[in-house]
Amino acid sequence: MTISPSDVAPHGVSARSVDVPAISAINVSKRYGRVAALDRLTLDVRAGEVFGLLGPNGSGKTTFMRLLAGYLLPSAGGLTVAGRDVVSESLAVRRRIGYVPESAPLYPYMRVGEFLIFMARLRGLPEGEIAAAVERVVERLALSAVLHKPTRTLSRGYRQRTALAQALIHEPDILILDEPTNGLDPRQIIEMRELIRSFAGRHTVLMSSHILSEVEKTADRVAVLLNGRLLGVRAVADTPNLEQWFLSLT
Amino acid sequence: MRTLRILFAKELNAVLTSPIGYTVAAVFLLVLGYTFSLTLFATKVANLQYIFHQMYVLSILLVPVLTMRSFAEERRSETLELLLTAPVREVSIVLAKYAATLTLVLGMFAASLVYAAILDRYGEPDWGPIYAGYLALALHASLLVAVGLLMSSLTENQVVAAALSIGTFLMLWFADSVSYLLVPPFDSVAINLSLIGHFKPMVSGSVFLSDIGYYISASMLALFITAWGLTQR
Repeated sequence: MTISPSDVAPHGVSARSVDVPAISAINVSKRYGRVAALDRLTLDVRAGEVFGLLGPNGSGKTTFMRLLAGYLLPSAGGLTVAGRDVVSESLAVRRRIGYVPESAPLYPYMRVGEFLIFMARLRGLPEGEIAAAVERVVERLALSAVLHKPTRTLSRGYRQRTALAQALIHEPDILILDEPTNGLDPRQIIEMRELIRSFAGRHTVLMSSHILSEVEKTADRVAVLLNGRLLGVRAVADTPNLEQWFLSLT
Repeated sequence: MRTLRILFAKELNAVLTSPIGYTVAAVFLLVLGYTFSLTLFATKVANLQYIFHQMYVLSILLVPVLTMRSFAEERRSETLELLLTAPVREVSIVLAKYAATLTLVLGMFAASLVYAAILDRYGEPDWGPIYAGYLALALHASLLVAVGLLMSSLTENQVVAAALSIGTFLMLWFADSVSYLLVPPFDSVAINLSLIGHFKPMVSGSVFLSDIGYYISASMLALFITAWGLTQR
């Protein structure tokens, strides 16, 4: 397939990413000795959608996200992100993703602005573009009030936003958010949910949660995982009673 | 190269904003100054051999305190996940941590140059062993930092990392002591593994390529294993 640079679909999603699933997993397994954290998972995530991974703790959500982000390597199976193999083209994949781990880790000795500049540099942004990129994510995530504060002094809500800002700073095709509403208060959860919804179309979002209502309100499609196995995938709009469907699977 | 520079700056920032670096440097210089004064007044001989041996021992005890955080803390606070999911090669992460910690250790060693200046001002030191001694210390520091990073990469507990490092350094220090129990060629291996066996000739002014080769190859091996370990996930 030949793609010209001008061959761009709506919302800035490239034609390549429309044709090729943003994320494609074929029989992916991750084993630690005899224990299978992920067992022959086959799944496609379409470009531009918000895709939710639902399942209890230990179901394999984080393992799958870490495999996509390149933090872990699969034991078996094929895994591609934006058409690129996560093992053989790891650096290329990592350039196209933004990843927020569950604990929203930050360097405690850096200020928020410093941290964002460091992550922008690490992601390979040219020096001339870094200030504008930082300004853009600071505005988008309403971080200006804490820009000069040390990250160790941030509230959980601001920590999560700062972690999200570093993931967005290079305008990745794919955002991987592990339990993005974990530990937030109700107002912050609503804000985070709206924020994630606003990414739809512009970025492909893969988010995980163990709270059913959270996924229902945020995602376009949802997959249920249990004990490392995929139990089912549904479009949220086509599933009037998600809770009943979830219970019937688990 | 740009990535390495960015990571090096970040690591140096981490070292300089932590009280650990300053505490270690203060303890190191305090003990060294005390020893230098005592030795100079007691012997009235213008050489630094005793000081070099003191620095050898102090660095075995203090470098683990500097390296213990490197990977263990990143692993514990999960910031390692940020680094390893960024478009960065593992070897760059390892080299940046190595270079930043080695810079601090060499900076501490450089502060002892003031003793050489004092000897030069009030006596006539033999500069050959002094130059060779500093070369030995730089190579010694390189090996300690590289092995310390390797130990830190194996655990998320800083204390465990420091204990593993000190244990390894002490084993290497006394490796030759076990040689008489071993049959050839293992006895030679034990002798050649010895830290002090390669350090002593150099601080006396005898520089052998085999000694330099030992430090460089051991440092590179430790760095290689650390980088390889990071790719195994």
